[in-house]
Amino acid sequence: MSPAEAAWIVLLLPLLGSVVLGLGFRVWRGAQAGIIGTASVGLAFVFTLVSLISLLGRKEEGTRQITSSLYEYVNVGGVKVELSILVDPLSLVMLMVVTGVSTLIHLYSLAYMRGDNGYTRFFSYLNFFVFSMLVLVLAGNFVLLIVGWGLVGAASYMLISFWYRRNTATTAGIKAFVINVVGDIGLVLGVILLLRHTGTVDFLEAFHGAKETFGEHGNGSLTAGLLLVMVGAFAKSAQLPFHTWLPDAMEGPTPVSSLIHAATMVTAGVYLIARLHPFMELSQTAQTVGMVVGCLTLLVAGTIGLVQTDLKRVIAYSTMSQIGYMIMGVSAGAYFASMFHLATHAFFKALLFMAAGSVIAAMASEQNLDKMGGFKKAMPFTYGAFVIGGLALSGIPPFSGFFSKDEILSVIGEQGGAYWLLYVAGYAGAFLTAVYTWRMIFRAFWGPPVEQAKELEGGHLYHAPDHRNPATGELEDTEVGFPGPEHHIAERAPAMKLAMGTLALLAILGGLLGIPKVLTPLEKFLEPTFEAGLAGHAVHPGNGIIIVGLVIGTIVGAAGIYVAYLIWGKPLSQGQPATTHSSKWQAKFAPVHRFFLNKWYFDELIDYAIVRPVRWFGRFAHDTFERLVVGGAIVGGTSGAVRGASALVRRLQSGYMRAYSAVVLSGLAVLLVYFLTQS
Amino acid sequence: MLHLSILLWLPALFGLLGLLVPARHVRWVGVLGAVLALAFSIVLVLDFEPHGSAFQHVTDTTWISALGVRYQLAVTGLNVWLVLLTTVGFAFSSLWIATTSLGTDPRAKHVILHLGIAQTAVLGALLAQDLILFVAFFDLMLIPFFFLTAQFGNGTNEERVRATIKMIVYTLVGSLLMLVAAIAVGVLATPDGQAVSYNIQEIAQRGVPEGSQGWLFACFAAAFLVKMPAFPIHGWLADGYKAMPLPILAVFSGVLSKVAVYGFLQIALPILPQGTADLRWVVLILAVLSILYASSLALTTFNARLVLAYSSVAQLGFITLGVMSLRPDGASGALLQSVNHGVAVFGAFLAVAILGRRTGGSEDLRDMGGAATKMPVFAVLFIVVTYAVLAMPGTANFVGEFLILRGAWEGTAQGLAIVASLGVALAAVYALRLFIRGSHNRVAAKVEPREGTRPELALMAIPVVLIAALAFHPQQTVKAADDATTRAVQRAAIVVGPDHVRKILEADPSARNIAPEPFADVPPSAGTVRPIGGARTTGPASQSDPATDPNTGRAVGVDPSTGQATTPSGGAAGSTVQVDPSTGQTVDPSTGQPVEPPSAQTEGAGR
Repeated sequence: MSPAEAAWIVLLLPLLGSVVLGLGFRVWRGAQAGIIGTASVGLAFVFTLVSLISLLGRKEEGTRQITSSLYEYVNVGGVKVELSILVDPLSLVMLMVVTGVSTLIHLYSLAYMRGDNGYTRFFSYLNFFVFSMLVLVLAGNFVLLIVGWGLVGAASYMLISFWYRRNTATTAGIKAFVINVVGDIGLVLGVILLLRHTGTVDFLEAFHGAKETFGEHGNGSLTAGLLLVMVGAFAKSAQLPFHTWLPDAMEGPTPVSSLIHAATMVTAGVYLIARLHPFMELSQTAQTVGMVVGCLTLLVAGTIGLVQTDLKRVIAYSTMSQIGYMIMGVSAGAYFASMFHLATHAFFKALLFMAAGSVIAAMASEQNLDKMGGFKKAMPFTYGAFVIGGLALSGIPPFSGFFSKDEILSVIGEQGGAYWLLYVAGYAGAFLTAVYTWRMIFRAFWGPPVEQAKELEGGHLYHAPDHRNPATGELEDTEVGFPGPEHHIAERAPAMKLAMGTLALLAILGGLLGIPKVLTPLEKFLEPTFEAGLAGHAVHPGNGIIIVGLVIGTIVGAAGIYVAYLIWGKPLSQGQPATTHSSKWQAKFAPVHRFFLNKWYFDELIDYAIVRPVRWFGRFAHDTFERLVVGGAIVGGTSGAVRGASALVRRLQSGYMRAYSAVVLSGLAVLLVYFLTQS
Repeated sequence: MLHLSILLWLPALFGLLGLLVPARHVRWVGVLGAVLALAFSIVLVLDFEPHGSAFQHVTDTTWISALGVRYQLAVTGLNVWLVLLTTVGFAFSSLWIATTSLGTDPRAKHVILHLGIAQTAVLGALLAQDLILFVAFFDLMLIPFFFLTAQFGNGTNEERVRATIKMIVYTLVGSLLMLVAAIAVGVLATPDGQAVSYNIQEIAQRGVPEGSQGWLFACFAAAFLVKMPAFPIHGWLADGYKAMPLPILAVFSGVLSKVAVYGFLQIALPILPQGTADLRWVVLILAVLSILYASSLALTTFNARLVLAYSSVAQLGFITLGVMSLRPDGASGALLQSVNHGVAVFGAFLAVAILGRRTGGSEDLRDMGGAATKMPVFAVLFIVVTYAVLAMPGTANFVGEFLILRGAWEGTAQGLAIVASLGVALAAVYALRLFIRGSHNRVAAKVEPREGTRPELALMAIPVVLIAALAFHPQQTVKAADDATTRAVQRAAIVVGPDHVRKILEADPSARNIAPEPFADVPPSAGTVRPIGGARTTGPASQSDPATDPNTGRAVGVDPSTGQATTPSGGAAGSTVQVDPSTGQTVDPSTGQPVEPPSAQTEGAGR
C-alpha cells in the first residue's frame, strides 16, 4: 500500500466512525458506542503506521513528498482546488501524534465518560474532531487546509458546548467559535493575497516557486499575506491577543480539554507555520512577529497560570504558554525542535489533563484548587501520572520536555543579537512553568487530605449531594449527561490506567526522539520537508550552547519546583492554617496578584473595545435607525403613496384586480409621457 | 432539445388544475406540479454543457411584433442552477404546505394557484432573454405573494395589510423605474432606421448611448436592490417577513431575492457597462453597508424569523459584492452562493417553524431553549443548516464566500473586502445565537420539547442532504457558471479599465477568448502587462504573455479571417497552445507537458 492510499484510509476511518455513531445513536448505546469510536481511531493509527513504513521504504531523494488527489473540488475563475492530500514527513509526524494521542484519549473516555447520558454523542463528536484534524494536517492545498481549519473549530465548539444546558458552556462555545472564525477570516484573506502571486493554492507548487515569486528577501505582499495567515494561526493556537477562548473552553469534558485544547487542535498554528516555512523564511517581519507574539504569550500565560485556582484553567494557561514556545521556535526557524516539542507536549499535557480529570472526578466535578488537597495517598496512580507529567512539563531531565524545550531555546540563542532577549524570556517562562505546575501538585496532592480524599482513602468515592456548576455555583441540570451519578477515577478504571500509563511512558521516553547531537531520528525523518527547495536555512546550534542550555534548563526547572515547594508544599507546623505561606506571598504582591488573577484584563478589553460597541450599534439600529430613518424618512416620504395604495389594497383584499390594472395603467402613462418628450 | 415553455407554464397550469380538484386534495396537485417541474429542471442541469453554446434550448417566437417584443427563452450558465434552485424551493414549499394547516385550509386552492403562478413568474424571469419579457415576469413574480400574505399571513388583519402595503409600495416604485428603464434601453439602443429589439444580447451588442447609461443603471439597480433588499431600502422587510406564512416565506427569501442578483448579471452589467462602471461603487458600498448593518440587526433581534431575514440581507450584500467585483471569480461565487444560501434558508425557516410549534407558536428566542435533548435528530439537522448559514469551511457556502471575497479583494478595494469579511464573523455570532437559543441552554418555560415528527424530519432532511451534496462537490455547481459569468462581466470590466482586465487575466488566462466581447480584443496598456501568474519572470519580455501573438498583439485563438474569437473548447480540440492556469506555463494540450514558448510556435498555433 502506498503512503497516500494508507493516508486516505486514515482520513476516512474516523469520519466513518462518526457517521455510524451519529446515525445509529439509538442502536449503539452504552459501551458499544465507545468501542466503535475507539476502534475507528485505533485503526486510523494502525494505518498511519502503514503509511509511515511505506514512506520510510522510499529511499530515493524527492520521493517522500506525495500529493494525491481525489477529484476537482473547485475550478472556476482561476481558482483551482483539488481535493488533495499531501503526505510528507511533516504531515506524517502530525498524523502519528494526532491518531496516537487520540486513540489513548478515546480509550480514557471509554471509562471516564461512562456515566454520561450523551455517551454515544460524545464519541460521535470526538471521532468527527479527529477526522477534521486529519483533514487539516493532510490537506494538500491552502483551501483544503482552511476547510480542516474550520471543521476543527466546529468540532471544538460542539465539544466545548457538550453539556449544553450549562449557560457557561454555550457561552464558552460561541466565544471559541467566533474567535476562531476571526482567525479563519485572516487565513482566508491571507491565502487570497498569496494566491494572487503564487497563482496556485497547491502547497508544493506554491513553495516550489517561492523564491522566484516573491524574490530572495520576500516583498510586502508576502509579509502582509503571512501576517494575515498568522492571525489564523494565533487564533487557533490561543496566542495573544486571541487567547481568551482557551481558558473558557475548559467548560468541555476533560477528555476534550486533553485532546483538543492541549494535544492536537491548538497546536495547528505551529503546524501551519511549519508548513509555510518556505514563505516564512523569506519574510523577516513575519518571523519576528511570530517570535515576539509567541514569547509574550508564554510569559503572560505563565503569570496568569501562577494564580488561577481552577485546576483545568491552570493547565489551559500552561498549554497556551507551551504553544508560545513552539510558535516562537517555529518562527525562528527551529522547525525540528518545535515539532519535537509539539509531540512531547502532546504526550505530557494530555497526561496532565487526564490526571486532572481523575482528581476532578474524585472531587465530584469540583475543579477549585482551594478545595483540594492531600490526594497523594488516596490516588497513588493519578499522583504518579501527574508528577511524571509535571516533571516533563517543568523540563527536568531526563523527561521528554527537557530535551524539546531546550532544543528550541538553543536554536534561538545560537542566532545571537536580539534573539538573546527571547532566549532569556524563554528561561524565565520555564521558571514560571515549573512554579505553577508544582503549585498544582502541592495543592492537590500534598497537605492534609480534604473530606473527599479521606472518603476515598476509606474506599468510597465521594458523591456531591447536589451538582453545581463549578464556575457559577448554579444548580446543574443533570438531564444532559455529566455530572451523572457515576464518577470514574483512574485507580478504578483499567482503560483510564492503560491510557495514562502509555502516555506516562511516552512522557518519560519521548526525549529519545531527539537528544541533541546524539540521537536525532525525528530530525532526520523531517529533513525532506524542511530541506526541499531551501538554501538550508535551518539553524544548527553548536555544542557549547546546547550543553549550557541543558544545564540552565535543569537549574531553572529545579529552582521553580523548589520555590513552589517553599510556598505551597512545605509541611506546616502544627496549628498553622493551610494557606499560610501562600497568603503571605499574596499579600506581599497584592496588586500584581490581582492583575494576574484578572488575566491581565484581556477579557474586559475585548468586551469594551468590540463586544459592547457592536451590541450598542445593534440596539441603536433597532430602536432608532430602523424606526426613524428606514421606517420614517423613507416610508414617510412616500406616506402619501402609502395612503393612496392602501385604498387599492383594501380592494385587493376583496379579490379585485382593478387596483393592479390601475397601477399598470399609471405606469404606462409615465412611459407614454417619456416617449412623447423624447420624440 | 427540451421545450422550455413546458417547464415555464407547468406550475401555473397545475395551479389552475387545482381549481378543478376538491379542496382537500388540492395540495397534492400543487406537489405534483412542483415535482414535475423539479424533474424537468434536473434534466436541464444534467443536459447543460458548461462550455457549449451560450444559449441552450432556445425558444424564440414573436410576441408583440409592433413593439418588437419577442417570446425568447433560453438556458444559460447564469440561470441553469437558479432554475433548479427555484424548482427545488417551490417543491419544498409545496411539500411543506401539504403537511401544514395551510394545505388543508378551505381556501387551499388559492394557495396552490398563487404558488403556481409565482413559480411560473420566477422561472419566466430567469429564462427570459427578452428584456420586456423579463420585466413582465419580474413584476408578476411578486403579485401572488401579496395575495398570500394578505390572505393567509400572520398577525392581525391590520398588520397583514400594513405589511402588504409596504411591500407593494416599495417594489412598485422599483418596478416602475425598471419598466421605464427597460423600454428606454431598447429604444435608445436602436440605430436609426432599424426595428426596435428588446433581445438582451442584441441590446448589448448595439450599445446604449454612454451618456444615458448612468440613470438607466440607477433605475435597474433600484428595482433589484429593493427586491433583495439592500440597506437602506429594506423598510418592507421586517413587516413583510413577520406577516408571511413560513412555507411561503422560505421560498420567498430563498428564491425571489436571487432573481434580483441574477438581474444584475443578466441585464444591468451586459447592457449598461458604462453605467455599471460609473455607479458600481455606490452599489458596492451599499452592499457592504447591508452586510454590516443587517448583521448587527440580526445580532440583537429576538424574533427568530427576523434573525433569518437580516441574515438574508447580509448574505445578499455578499452576493452583490461578488457581482459588482466585475470579475468571473466573484460573479461565479455570487451565483454559487445564491444557490447555497437559498438551500440553507429553506432549512433555517423550517427549523424556526418546527421550534415554534414547540413553544406554543412563539417565535421569540427568549421563549425557546433546551429542546435538543428531546429532539436529537432535529438538533443535528439544525446544526448542519446553521453551519451552512454561517458559511463554515467545508460547506459550499464557504467556497462561495471565498470566491466572492477574492473577487472583491482583487476587483474592488482590499479595504472593502476586509470590511466585508467582518460580516463573516458576525454571521457566526447570529447563526450560532439562533441555534443555541433555539435548542441549547436551559429548557424555557413555554417549551414542550418533543422529537420532530416524521414529516418534519423528512422535510428537514431535504435541505440537509442538498447542503451535503453541494459541499462535497461544489465544482458541479460552479462549472456551469464559469464561462457565463465571464460573458456577463466582460463588457463592464473592459469599461472599468485595462488594469482591471489585466488582473482578471492574470488570475484566469482562460477567460481571455470568450465571446462575445473577448478580453483579448482589448489592447493591453503598453508596458503594464505583467506575465501571467504573478511576478514570476519566465523569459524575455516578448514572450512574457504566451497567449498573445508577439507580432500583432492579438490573442492567439482569435480567428484572423473573421475576427471572431474561438471558444476555448473549440481551441482545445485543435492544436492551440493552452496556458496552464496554475503555473502560467504554456502547456501542450495533447500531452499536458509544459512547452517552452518560442514565438514561432505560438504564432503558428490557432491558425
